[in-house]
Amino acid sequence: MIFFEFAKRNLARHKFRSVLAIIGIVIGVLAITALGILGNSVQLAVSEQLCMIGNELVVYPYGEEAISDDNFEKIEKVAEAIPVQSMGDKATLNGESTFVMVYGMRSEDIPKLLEKEAGQFLKHGSLNCMVGSRLADNYELRVGERAALQSQKPRIVGILAERGVGFDINPDNAIIVSDKMFDSMYNTTGYNSVIVKVEKIEDVEGAKEEIEARLNKKEEVVMVMELKMIVEGIKGLFNTISIFLLGIGAISLVVAGVSILNVMMMSTVERTKEIGVMRAIGTSKREILRMFLFESLILGAIGGVIGAILGFGTGFLVDVLILHEASYLFAPSSILYVFVGIAFGVGTSVLSGLYPAWRASNLKPIEALRYE
Amino acid sequence: MNVVELVEVTKVYELPRGSVKALDNVTASIEAGEFISVMGPSGSGKTTFLNIIGCLDTPTGGKVAIGGENINGLDDEALTKIRRDKIGFIFQQFNLIATLTALENIEYPMILKGVNEHEEKSKELVSSVGLEEALGENKPNELSGGEQQRVAIARALANDPDIILADEPTGNLDSKTSKDIMQLLKDTNERGKTIIIVTHDPQVASYTKRTFRLVDGRIDSDGVFL
Ligand SMILES: Nc1ncnc2c1ncn2[C@@H]1O[C@H](COP(=O)(O)OP(=O)(O)O)[C@@H](O)[C@H]1O
Ligand SMILES: [Mg+2]
Repeated sequence: MIFFEFAKRNLARHKFRSVLAIIGIVIGVLAITALGILGNSVQLAVSEQLCMIGNELVVYPYGEEAISDDNFEKIEKVAEAIPVQSMGDKATLNGESTFVMVYGMRSEDIPKLLEKEAGQFLKHGSLNCMVGSRLADNYELRVGERAALQSQKPRIVGILAERGVGFDINPDNAIIVSDKMFDSMYNTTGYNSVIVKVEKIEDVEGAKEEIEARLNKKEEVVMVMELKMIVEGIKGLFNTISIFLLGIGAISLVVAGVSILNVMMMSTVERTKEIGVMRAIGTSKREILRMFLFESLILGAIGGVIGAILGFGTGFLVDVLILHEASYLFAPSSILYVFVGIAFGVGTSVLSGLYPAWRASNLKPIEALRYE
Repeated sequence: MNVVELVEVTKVYELPRGSVKALDNVTASIEAGEFISVMGPSGSGKTTFLNIIGCLDTPTGGKVAIGGENINGLDDEALTKIRRDKIGFIFQQFNLIATLTALENIEYPMILKGVNEHEEKSKELVSSVGLEEALGENKPNELSGGEQQRVAIARALANDPDIILADEPTGNLDSKTSKDIMQLLKDTNERGKTIIIVTHDPQVASYTKRTFRLVDGRIDSDGVFL
């Protein structure tokens, strides 16, 4: 391809200028790719943690009063319900004293909500306890050891798997005991929250309305938090952030496009005489157009590929350093941004080259020849 | 057969400060194999005359036929094709393409036309215009003026055109080199090519067999040097 060769040599003839134009594209594509991957990774990370609990509702007491047994029974009629008691307290673990959350749950409910990493779940009415993964790590707790809570020394029979931040309970830094144990340590009545699980995510809305209808008849007794809504809200927020970040990338590409337009205009003006000669000896308009489009294509392709590689690298660094998880990087939706970035780079470049190329191809041969 | 046929050709350039009549009612015919010079003062319309024959410019009025084909009303694409296949241009400033080597400059018209073996043919052309083949690897700015003009002549001959048009081909060369170039053009004409040369230099015109004189866009005389 002679015109591709022309394009290459003309770019090489003005290396500095070509490199500047390429840098513009690199920055634009880098921004789009990195920001796209980043936004996507954050969204993946968030939805991964949130989707498991999307079919839950959490019922909290409206005022100071806990949720009574009566009201719990009403909730239970709507859907499967898990009553949770909780108390912040000081515990002694491996000789160190620390502040922890203590959750009291019916033994049979624990496996429904939590997973264990080691040991066993609590038996019915057990006087032992389970500890969250973070606590176990921080205090080097092992199954079989004892924790000290109030005047009791429950044996640790199980260690829970890490769960992350939840909207219902946060067990990672907590001690879980049976309802019976909880009652024996703390003199409280009722429940601090009730977690309601519905079969399908679509049922969340109906369950919420029914619980409110049954319990809040006369006055507001409970508040029903719908996790699905929170999940959607957060996803929406991250969507907005992603779009915003992509917008920044797009703006830098526009700037790059203007710089390519500028470089190509300079190049067509400088080469006016040469274009005239080429036209005189039999080069068609279309061939001149092709030669200049190749130039912008080459600039865009080089800039796009370098930008996408750097963008992927940046995405990798951020994923590993901030999200501590590289797997999101290789999700199809993340990889897509590499191609989106390259496509935008090449697209911007070719688009910016279009006008100068068109202008060059439409120069009148005799006038171009007379140009000095 | 007449390879160039101009009938009552007029060319008017419209400028902001009025119109310029560069050619005024010019009628001329040139037969295949002729060697012609076009003389006249600066601004008399010599380049315009050549550009119209070369299908670079279109007349405002009159008829133009090149190689028997009427070119009035042909579109840009058709005119481009005629320039590529039937006409060879030689310029005062040589006008080689700076990014291409000498050989590539000669190959270029053949590549445009889709000629096979353009590499071998360009090497033959380089030696036929009296250059060492090794010079062919140089870029134009590494060659002397005379060498560049030889390459330009080889380029003009690449697609074996009907007509060679040369606009002051010796205008940028010293007198010794001018003679060499004119000898080369004379040899080319003797091998059968129709050549039209624009010049102010009577020495150059003396190589040709017929001279057109242009004054204010009119053909004034049409003499034969023998
Ligand atoms: N492209 C053009 N646009 C406007 N005027 C032109 C153009 N080309 C030539 N002219 C005018 O036409 C006249 C003849 O020009 P030209 O053919 O170049 O003469 P010569 O080659 O004999 O010096 C001059 O007055 C010149 O200024
Ligand atoms: Mg002239």
